[in-house]
Amino acid sequence: MRHVRGFDVARPLSIGVLVIMMMPLVFLPLASIFIFGTSKGLTSFWAALMAPEAVFALKLSMVTSFWATLFNVFFGLFAAYVLSRYNFWGRNALIVTISLPTAIPTAVAGFALLLLWGPYGILGRFLAPHGIQTMFTAGAIILANIFVTFPLAFGVIKPVFDTMSRSLEEASATIGATRVQTFWHVTLPSLRGAIVSGALLTFARAVGEFGSTILVSGNLAGRTQTAPLYIFAKFNEGQIEAANAIAIVLALFSFLIFSVLFFARDWLDVD
Amino acid sequence: MQAKQAMVKEPSTNPDAKRGAPVVATSVVGISKRFGKTSVLENINFDVAEGEALVLLGASGSGKTTILRIIAGLEQPYTGKVMLHGKDVTELPARERGVGVIFQSYALFPKMTVEKNIGYGLRIRRRKRREIRETVNELLALVQLEEHRKKYPSQLSGGQQQRVAIARTLAYNPEVLLFDEPFGALDAQTRGHLRREIRALLRKVNVPAIFITHDQEEALELGDRIAVINLGHIEQIGTPFEVYTKPANEYVATFLGAANILAGVVKDRSVEVGSALVPLPEGYEKYHEGQKVKLVFRPEDVSLSKGEVTPGHACIAKGIVESTNFVGAYERVGVRIDLSDSGSCDTNETPFYLTTQTPESQTSKPIIATRPKPEATATRLTIGDRVAVGLSSFTVLADVAPRKRESESPRG
Repeated sequence: MRHVRGFDVARPLSIGVLVIMMMPLVFLPLASIFIFGTSKGLTSFWAALMAPEAVFALKLSMVTSFWATLFNVFFGLFAAYVLSRYNFWGRNALIVTISLPTAIPTAVAGFALLLLWGPYGILGRFLAPHGIQTMFTAGAIILANIFVTFPLAFGVIKPVFDTMSRSLEEASATIGATRVQTFWHVTLPSLRGAIVSGALLTFARAVGEFGSTILVSGNLAGRTQTAPLYIFAKFNEGQIEAANAIAIVLALFSFLIFSVLFFARDWLDVD
Repeated sequence: MQAKQAMVKEPSTNPDAKRGAPVVATSVVGISKRFGKTSVLENINFDVAEGEALVLLGASGSGKTTILRIIAGLEQPYTGKVMLHGKDVTELPARERGVGVIFQSYALFPKMTVEKNIGYGLRIRRRKRREIRETVNELLALVQLEEHRKKYPSQLSGGQQQRVAIARTLAYNPEVLLFDEPFGALDAQTRGHLRREIRALLRKVNVPAIFITHDQEEALELGDRIAVINLGHIEQIGTPFEVYTKPANEYVATFLGAANILAGVVKDRSVEVGSALVPLPEGYEKYHEGQKVKLVFRPEDVSLSKGEVTPGHACIAKGIVESTNFVGAYERVGVRIDLSDSGSCDTNETPFYLTTQTPESQTSKPIIATRPKPEATATRLTIGDRVAVGLSSFTVLADVAPRKRESESPRG
């Protein structure tokens, strides 16, 4: 006699409910970008994408995000090293402060930067007479990106530091290595995976930044307009196709980064 | 070639060696250490000779790991100094001392292959590639890991990882090898096997070694000498034979192997235990009449006989068998001895305590005896048997209070 297994109704039912719930919330909004964007044929999509202002906006987003990511990965590495290796008064307060920018609304972040660096800002008013203007430039976008993505790389790298055995570094020291050699040959290789995923996370978040960027950049087409700002501007002008083309690129880009993060985590950390 | 020297050391050219005096490779002089107000090490002194293996044996919290870390330069002593081949290295950082530490977890670099791990010390010393390759090859052969050279540490067994850790330190010709609980992470069978392997390896390379362990069996097997550490003090330092057969105090006696301990008083050049008189052997003249002492003897030094006590053995009492337990190579017998009777070993008399219902009274003591398998098979003992208890050897120790953790009083 073959053993007949009971059919568990809960399984297909719960999977079905999950997928149906995600339809209007996630799948359909994403799908509509692609459906609209390509409804008039690929040639018009390509033309919209290749408009000089669109190309500029995408480039600006990539470049500003790159510098913000570079800074925040180095900073996150350094901060994680200091905060996991040394115990000092105020250490926990520092950890909370570093993590704070994620909790602050991005519009508030942009506003705060304006109040500091703007022509009448606390620091900006002393710089303005010397012809130094930080706000409404690409530099301002980088500053805003750094601020809102500040804790991301740190948050990924610090736990790896915390769990790393101290005896590896001690072993390296007894073998004769200097601190720099130990960091380079022993500590850093173990952080490879965390550094790459921290960087990808920071970059993806910076590319999509809108709230703070629109305040500090001035939103000047062809000068300080990033890709998300371009989408917003074109939508307001009623140029849905132009906005749509960039939206597709950004959506695909973030999809790519998260796929890499999801699948590459394992091979980045293989011994 | 540095590594070659390390692996096969020529007979030392030091003039001291020619005169027969052993060359001191490592000495620890008057080391003490405190964490806050707690003293964890108190005046630690010892030497390790060239090629010698010293075991620091102690319970957890005894301070043995701190001694090791101070020698390695990972911890600073409060007072005292560390000398390596006659050079005071107390002020030197770990990386300038040239000691080899084999960490308990081995601390192999996870992202480096076996050969990269072994060559690390030479790479950071910026040696020539060819030299590094040759040394790594020699060391791989020495620790028999040639076919694993391209593997990562996570792909190796515990024993193989340990051999990589040793080879990694031998590459830069260490002044001394320091092993921190080297077998703690391994199962019992591998442990015994690896102990003999490391012992043989150390003989071959002739590098002095200091082991840290809490396992007395390991200490006896690994050490040319053993230092028993208790609460930051060295209780005794000597060869395994000395420490086992002539323990300096009760702590050493009980920490290193099983020991029976009976309280007694010195009387007429004998030790009075209960009402039995055990004659004091040579060398115990220092004890004065009426002094409180402890009679210490190992289970294997006890002889049990149903009739007369074994000739040549000091009879201490008669007793009754309470338990027998066959544990492989020998039989463990629990005997309750009667100390109330005046030294008579006649087993035909009924022991005092059997008539009194107070087995825990001062005059009756449980002891443990072991008998080798042939003897256990020849004369069977069963529970309730009356036996005469003799001793083939024993130690007499002054009765002193056990050591307590020293710490400064809060108000100084």
